[in-house]
Amino acid sequence: MTGLPPTEFVLVARHEPPALTVRVAGELDYDTSEDLVGAVVEHLSEAAQIHDVHLDFSGLTWIDSTGLSALLTVHRHVGAAGATLHLDNRPGVLERMLHMTNVLDHLTAPAAGGQARRFGEDDGTAGAGATS
Amino acid sequence: MRCARCVPLMVSAPHGSSARPRDADLGVGAAWAEAPYPVLVVDRHGGLVRINEAARALLPDVADGDRLHEKVPSWLSQAHRRLGDGPRDACAGPLSGSINDRLFEAHPTSGADGDVVWWLVDETDRRLAETALSDAQVRSEVLAKVSSALLSTLNVPRCTEVAASMAAEHLAEAAVLVAPPQGRRHPLTHARRGGPVTRTVRQVDVASVPGLNEALQGFPPVPARWINPDDIPGWVVPDGFAGPVGSVIVAPLPGHGVPAGALILLRSSTEQAFTEGEEVFARLFAARAGAALSAAGLYSEQAAITETLMRELLPPSLHSVHGVEYAGGYRASKNQERVGGDFYDVHPGSDPSQETLVVLGDVAGKGLDAAVLTGKIRNTLHALLPLAEDHERVLGLLNGALLTSHHARFATLVLASVRRRGGRVQVRLTSAGHLPPLIVRTDGTVEEVATRGTLVGALPTVTANTVRTTLAPGETCLLYTDGITEARGGPLGDELFGEHRLRRALAECAGMPAEAVVERVQMLAAEWLGPGRHDDMAAVAVSAPRNGPLTVVDGRAHGRDSRRKT
Amino acid sequence: MSHPTVPAELPDQLWEAVADGDEHTAVDIVHRALADGADEETLLLEVIAPVQRRIGTEWAADRISVAQEHAATAINERVVGFLAHARPEGERRAPDRGRVTVSCIDGEWHAFPARLVTEVLRLRGWRVDYLGAQTPTAHLIAHLHCTNPDAVLLSGSIPTHLPTAHSAITACQAIGVPVLAGGRAFGPDGRRARALGADEWAADARGAAAVLEAGLAQPCPTAIRQATDDLPHLDDQEYTMVAQSRPQLVKQTLVDLEDRFPAVRGYGDAQRERTVEDIAHIVDFLATALYLDEPDVFTAFLTWTADILEARHVPARSLTAGLDILAVQLRDFPRTVRLLHAGTAALRDHPVPGIRA
Repeated sequence: MTGLPPTEFVLVARHEPPALTVRVAGELDYDTSEDLVGAVVEHLSEAAQIHDVHLDFSGLTWIDSTGLSALLTVHRHVGAAGATLHLDNRPGVLERMLHMTNVLDHLTAPAAGGQARRFGEDDGTAGAGATS
Repeated sequence: MRCARCVPLMVSAPHGSSARPRDADLGVGAAWAEAPYPVLVVDRHGGLVRINEAARALLPDVADGDRLHEKVPSWLSQAHRRLGDGPRDACAGPLSGSINDRLFEAHPTSGADGDVVWWLVDETDRRLAETALSDAQVRSEVLAKVSSALLSTLNVPRCTEVAASMAAEHLAEAAVLVAPPQGRRHPLTHARRGGPVTRTVRQVDVASVPGLNEALQGFPPVPARWINPDDIPGWVVPDGFAGPVGSVIVAPLPGHGVPAGALILLRSSTEQAFTEGEEVFARLFAARAGAALSAAGLYSEQAAITETLMRELLPPSLHSVHGVEYAGGYRASKNQERVGGDFYDVHPGSDPSQETLVVLGDVAGKGLDAAVLTGKIRNTLHALLPLAEDHERVLGLLNGALLTSHHARFATLVLASVRRRGGRVQVRLTSAGHLPPLIVRTDGTVEEVATRGTLVGALPTVTANTVRTTLAPGETCLLYTDGITEARGGPLGDELFGEHRLRRALAECAGMPAEAVVERVQMLAAEWLGPGRHDDMAAVAVSAPRNGPLTVVDGRAHGRDSRRKT
Repeated sequence: MSHPTVPAELPDQLWEAVADGDEHTAVDIVHRALADGADEETLLLEVIAPVQRRIGTEWAADRISVAQEHAATAINERVVGFLAHARPEGERRAPDRGRVTVSCIDGEWHAFPARLVTEVLRLRGWRVDYLGAQTPTAHLIAHLHCTNPDAVLLSGSIPTHLPTAHSAITACQAIGVPVLAGGRAFGPDGRRARALGADEWAADARGAAAVLEAGLAQPCPTAIRQATDDLPHLDDQEYTMVAQSRPQLVKQTLVDLEDRFPAVRGYGDAQRERTVEDIAHIVDFLATALYLDEPDVFTAFLTWTADILEARHVPARSLTAGLDILAVQLRDFPRTVRLLHAGTAALRDHPVPGIRA
């Protein structure tokens, strides 16, 4: 860390069917998380033929809990569209957070089946029990 | 040098004529006979020599040859006499006075043979305009002052005091502000010019004051001239009011839709009665006061509601339970707010043999939205207390309760079950996606507790492992949220406080009481931040007391006498 | 008012217990003194307060650690807490005087003096809302709107919080609540309280009680003030400049120190961090002195720091070097340069304390 102002947050999306790649650079936090969700959702609704969504984090400098919340939201949308989410080039700060919160497997699990499900269908009821 | 007013003008010997008097007007002729000002030519003995048309219109029964002092008001005749008596202080100021309800300035000039020509200039309208202007200036100044004074406070009693005292100071001799009833009684604020402001709440008959009932109900105001001062009951008149009431204004205080009360203005009978202009001004004043009072009322209401709701969301104050010290510290992310997404609780075991459950957690997000979710989590965990023996099960049930299909808002938290055994404290710790707790040992070593688990509220299922440990006397276990380690600032401006600084600080905290550990951590993080922006910060310390049984709980001596508090 | 005396050895006894972190004994000492007829106010101000002062001086002399200082303060606070509830409800004086709010300046962590004033005022029949440390000014003002107190008592120990205190004072007065300032930050004679426009100042808890008993006039809420109305020198923007460029000043000073003293280059992380903190403190006090236009704030801090460093066997030479470096960086600011020179002179004239055995 230096005395410089925080790195600028930049999103670059590249759509090469059947893959969507979004490069995330800078700090994914309270101020910027909604942008990421918005960018992914926009492409998912525009282009039906997406099987894989790659988030490229090579330029990520920081992520906080709101950033993680955004990843979970992105995962829901991606899953609802029947696609699989990939978290590529994870820097240490992201790796630590995913490890601590135990959500990496969930976020990157292959899409269940090919067809799109209604958004949110798998939530809310299935998880009521503990795994103990 | 003489002032211009006293310099002889063309009247004296117009056109060089030396002809004397009766035909003198031929010489001056139209010059003054038709002048728009009343002009009187008076000889040195006070006899009227000539008057012009304008003067005749003013003084219709005056004829040439009349004695001045018999026909004009004394201010003018005496001025004429003084002029004859010798050299007058020429610049003593304008001579003025009224004639037949009009106000005139009189300017003397020297005529022939020692006559004096008096020019009378009608000043009535100018004076009226000047007075009106200065009244308007005073009033707008008063209104500006009143507005800024009233706007300065959002406290209803203080706002009422300000309104009443300013009304007494600027509008009347005394003012009474009658607020809408609270039950059967009305809050009354009495103010007397130069006297104290007093507030009382009394059961009074508002119908006994003409116009008051109407004002309190928001009906159009009753004009002051319809109110008989003799009808004013005693409760209206403040102590020390001079003499009987002479005139009264009852002005409604218009609020936001509902009246904010009424203002009664009083003048004693020795003073001039309220004019119509004053009445208009009083209503203007009342409008401002009403708006300010309504705003203050609205604020108080909102503040009370917030306070009530907030009480449930504020972190509890912690103290010792069953021989174990607990201390907590919390700071919301925004300075204006007192709650946020971090939370903690301590649920005491039903007796010393039972475990006490400590919870500390963090909801993704900030502000009231996040705080509301912390409330839900805290309530759910409270309900799950009987199952606290199995942390993972508690987390699973909590997870199920939090899952919604609408958002991916989740929480991370740590559960700690704590029980004292002899001088040592046994702790079971489980993290659900949260920063692992840190333990400060007596030798200053800082250990990270190796518990790890899934965050709650986002995934269909969760897993977690529970770690057991023991605290020797003087050792502390610290649960904290990432707002502390992610505090950004420091002397160089943009560094993270970081876990290494937290560990270094904790290493110095061996043997310290729990609240001192929390205070130290909070202080370092806050100083690190400076005025910079930050996330919510929370910390809870669980400490095994260093020496002997704990003696003070809630400030009461315990275990040393019979005053045991439950 | 008479103040019954307490046994002379009581403060020493309490100090021993507090320094040892022995809450049991500490509470017991006060409990017994009460039973022996000492009154609460005397215990608070003539036993507990001196012990608290001693905690500070012992730390300054490096006889206890920072952590011990916190621990001792925590124990002393528990003693105050015990005393506040020692008498059963029925025997305590009911609040019959008026209502006041006691708060620390936003950012001030030394809450103990405010706590003592609170307890003394309660004993004397005031209804006190104690907001304590860590109270943002916005919370204080919201509290005042809701409670409409007769006065606010604003407590501060560290002078660097005075610019914040200034805005709190004007904010309280703007809503018609008078401010009584107290605490070391405002100077031994309260002159800084006056400079910042506080309505009154009190040297200690009894002084504060006396001021309140005499009554404070409500400030005229229509007289709205800006910072420069009280402190016209702020127009030169030197305070703003120094305060805003604090990170850059600290960074550059560290770099220059490393150039001048090769030893500094070899510092470990912790030592380097200490150095950075020291420089930051110098800049903070410099900014405060600029705000108040009062060199004493700066020079007193420097000589105090020199003593602290000497007590820890750290030569105070680096302080002077730091001032020189800052003077070069800030050469375009005449008032700042004068302060830095005054600081250098004060350090030069300051007697170096003898090495303690």
